[in-house]
Amino acid sequence: MSFTRRTAELLHEDHQATIIVIEALDQLIAKARRKAPDVADPQVRKTLLSASTAIEDEISNHFAFEEEELFTRLEDMGDVGIGAHLRSEHAALLPLGQEVASGAREALQSGFSDSSWPPFRNAAAELIERMFSHIQKEEMALLPALEDLLDAETDMELSSAYAASHG
Amino acid sequence: MTSPNSFLGGAQDRLLPASIPFRFFLTAAVFHVLAWITLFLAANQLAWYTGGPGRVLASLHLVTLGVFAMTAIGASYQLLPVVTRRPLLRDWPARLSFWLFLPGVLGLAWGMGAVSPLLMQGGAILVGAGLAVFGALTADNLRRAGSLPVVAAHGWGALAALVGFAGLGILLVWDMTGGFLANRATLALTHMVLASYGFMGLLVLGLGLVLIPMFALSRAAPKRLGWAQLALAGLALTAYFVGGISGAAPLRWLALLAGSMAIAVYFWTMRLVLAGRMRKRLGLSFLLIRASWGFLALSLGLGGLVLAGVGGPSLPALFGFTLIAGWLLTFLLGILQRILPFLASMHASGKSGLPPPLSSLTAEVPLRIHAVFHFAALVTCAGGILLDMTLLVQIGAALGVVGALAFLGFAVNVVLKLRLEQQTT
Repeated sequence: MSFTRRTAELLHEDHQATIIVIEALDQLIAKARRKAPDVADPQVRKTLLSASTAIEDEISNHFAFEEEELFTRLEDMGDVGIGAHLRSEHAALLPLGQEVASGAREALQSGFSDSSWPPFRNAAAELIERMFSHIQKEEMALLPALEDLLDAETDMELSSAYAASHG
Repeated sequence: MTSPNSFLGGAQDRLLPASIPFRFFLTAAVFHVLAWITLFLAANQLAWYTGGPGRVLASLHLVTLGVFAMTAIGASYQLLPVVTRRPLLRDWPARLSFWLFLPGVLGLAWGMGAVSPLLMQGGAILVGAGLAVFGALTADNLRRAGSLPVVAAHGWGALAALVGFAGLGILLVWDMTGGFLANRATLALTHMVLASYGFMGLLVLGLGLVLIPMFALSRAAPKRLGWAQLALAGLALTAYFVGGISGAAPLRWLALLAGSMAIAVYFWTMRLVLAGRMRKRLGLSFLLIRASWGFLALSLGLGGLVLAGVGGPSLPALFGFTLIAGWLLTFLLGILQRILPFLASMHASGKSGLPPPLSSLTAEVPLRIHAVFHFAALVTCAGGILLDMTLLVQIGAALGVVGALAFLGFAVNVVLKLRLEQQTT
């Protein structure tokens, strides 16, 4: 999508960054299937490394910003439904993201075993599925709505604060 | 199947109760089965078919009105308010349009198959009334639309084509008893072109600017390309319509040229969108969507041959089959298999608790069966038309029935799982 509000553009960039990690994770799972991947493989290590940091960072900051700054504004305008739905998706995604990040960190240290790979694979598969669907919804229905929700001044304030929080 | 706390910004505003879009989608899945069954029964008439009442015409309208228009109406009611960020003002006219349109399609198709002018006229009146309600609701939404003007403009174009094809359709039905049309065959072809390339085509091109990037997680297509495809498609349809009314053959060649250019722009746009996509694995639905684009290009080539009057006597039927079953049916089934679980997931998550993942609302096996049988049906029927072999058409139609039943199973499964989710949350 393309957006005129900078806040929407920043959130879209977050989505892009998250999808890169999620896509890599998806390919890792598709390639490995039931057999645990070798964490000595550089590509596997790279994917696990990004999964161990990026997902958790991205979604925690991103979700918090949306819930505190955007959903509240939507709710103030009477748009309760969108916040409620996306909050519930966040509630499903956050623990999954943390579980996958934690599993990736452990795998980087000690590799996957026959007992640690299936739960990691299942959690990652659910995270991937939920994340794609969630981002599609936000790209279609939340980010375009910011065009109406935020005036230029608020957009500048929010986007500057969000960009600063991202370092 | 209503959701008190549903999705999409002012959810009560922009997300309709699930029962509205799903009744259209489920009914379309049923008509899909009926269309292939009717084609099976009409197999001996298909290869040489160039128009006129009978089972081929009934099958054609079961798929064009029963599947395409039914899907388009359901999708437009749900998607246009999201895209335009303007809710439908009332829900009940959407329900009314369904209850006018459904018996209308049944009556019209039955009347065509049984060659009963009275049934056809009754059906045509109800279909026209249902489409009029849909047109009024959509026009009102587009009138208030403040965003995505290029998508809204495609919507206006589709509505103009709807007025044209519906008006001609009613004239053609009444002409069966009155015999007042001097150029009936030309007007019938114009009616088909306006309905398929016009109404459905403009909706596909317009909503495609939103849906394809959303499913592929890609940047939106450049707006200038959207406007270019619309301008060229508008020119093509206008030229064809005027050419059909006036009998000026050069205008139809102009239409073919402009239409081909519009499709070239559309393909270029979709290529850009898919090249820039973030989602790499697009799944089975995009296999159907991509294949449908191939059939679209093929339909234009065959249309040119029909216009030039070259090729064998089965060429008009092959053109129609490629256009209707190859392009539009394949495309819509590809889109429907993405939209159904996606919409269901929104409605299943309105109450307390975590929303279900999409995979818990869908079923892959029926979709795989459908895809295999659908493509087998297309190839076999096309072979039957080319070789004028009734048996091949019958085999193809039977394969189509199996595929359609598998798709119906998928659609019913989505609805049942949605109900289950709503009961357990």
